[in-house]
Amino acid sequence: MRILAPSAIRQNLLCAAALGLVFLSAPFPRLQIVIHVLLVLALAPRAGSPLSGALWAGAAGWALEGSLRLYPHLGGTAWADMTLTLLAGWMAGRWPLEGVKSWLARLAGLLVAHTLLVHLAVRLASGPHAWGFGWLWSLLSLPVWGWAVWRLMYTGPSPRLG
Amino acid sequence: MALRAAKWGWSRAGWQRLLVLLLWLGHGIWVSLGPAPGRHWTRLADTLSRPSQGLASRWAQWRTSRREAARTFEETRAENARLGTELSQLRTQAAQEAPRLAEADEAVRLLGLKRQIPLDLKAARVVFSTRPAAFGGLILDRGRDLDLVPDQGVLVPEGIVGRLWSVGPTQAKVLPADAPNASVAVMLMRSRATGVLQGLGSGRAMIRYISNQEVVQVGEAVLTSGLDRVFPRGLLVGYVAEVAPGDLELRVLVNLSAPLDRISTVLLLPSQPPLEVQAPFVAPEQKPSRKRGTP
Repeated sequence: MRILAPSAIRQNLLCAAALGLVFLSAPFPRLQIVIHVLLVLALAPRAGSPLSGALWAGAAGWALEGSLRLYPHLGGTAWADMTLTLLAGWMAGRWPLEGVKSWLARLAGLLVAHTLLVHLAVRLASGPHAWGFGWLWSLLSLPVWGWAVWRLMYTGPSPRLG
Repeated sequence: MALRAAKWGWSRAGWQRLLVLLLWLGHGIWVSLGPAPGRHWTRLADTLSRPSQGLASRWAQWRTSRREAARTFEETRAENARLGTELSQLRTQAAQEAPRLAEADEAVRLLGLKRQIPLDLKAARVVFSTRPAAFGGLILDRGRDLDLVPDQGVLVPEGIVGRLWSVGPTQAKVLPADAPNASVAVMLMRSRATGVLQGLGSGRAMIRYISNQEVVQVGEAVLTSGLDRVFPRGLLVGYVAEVAPGDLELRVLVNLSAPLDRISTVLLLPSQPPLEVQAPFVAPEQKPSRKRGTP
């Protein structure tokens, strides 16, 4: 069963809401990183529309680094976010979704790649830094936010889905 | 999901892809610059300006070194002149003080010898020397004013000099041990054979009355025997220079140890000293050199 893509308005609204949550959750870094990963890997990617996805991902990266105020040279997270969002969008076009399990598995793989790439980019941009456990929290909570995004974007009430 | 294959070109999708590419590349370049991105430009500028900086540095260094060299040359010349003047003054001063220093050294040595010999020794200064002349001797600056009498022994730290030949009111004449008419009772250090030393001139003398049966080695020390009652036993006279068998006795030539031509101060033994006193200097015997390792 081929899953249809959500409407661009819904996706952009969800992305805007997630970006606002990234700013609002700045006092809670563990929650912030989960929302950030949700926005970058699940909400922003869209097949056939790489520009909007890259912009949302870049905004998420700059928002996260700007609110963290940890790195002397920002931009590493934004670049990694854009890269993974473009990759996820390409994967969505190349291998369309067929079920929630494949969706969660894809998110898990992208999350691992995102973690590694973010650390590499931040290391290049601002030097050595602590790894932290944000990736672990994101991975542990992946079934929750993955399922939620699945319901909101792909199987929830929609004029197109009826 | 229906995907529409977007074609490259100056279409809307092409512009979007170009923007995405620029956005992604811009971020990537910005990340690759790392912290303090201005340092790359600074490093590049440093690299480009290195040759000119090197030239400027060498030029400034050359000017500084030239200025320093000129200043150093002038200073060196002035210091050289000052040191030259100071050196000449020191040399003059040293030349002026040399006789006094030599006399002081001699006095110190005589004082040491005087402390070693348990006799009432008197000191006198040599004011004139007639040794180059036949039967010449040394003229001392003291005479009867120091209760000197003829036949008192005269010695220096290196060895005996001779005996008083004549004594005047304020001067005395010394008959050196190498004078042809001088005689000193001596003995050989190793064989203890006794004889009479007769002068040959020029710091040399000959021992008479040594039997052909005695074994005398070249380099053996010759000491006073005390039998002439002028010198006590054991004072150093000289060293055997040559030994040759004669008809009746050995012909033993001796080099006197006292530098008779360079004496400035002497010690005078008391008249008729005891035969035996503690010898102040028993000179080490001049042994022939041995090969290392031989017994």
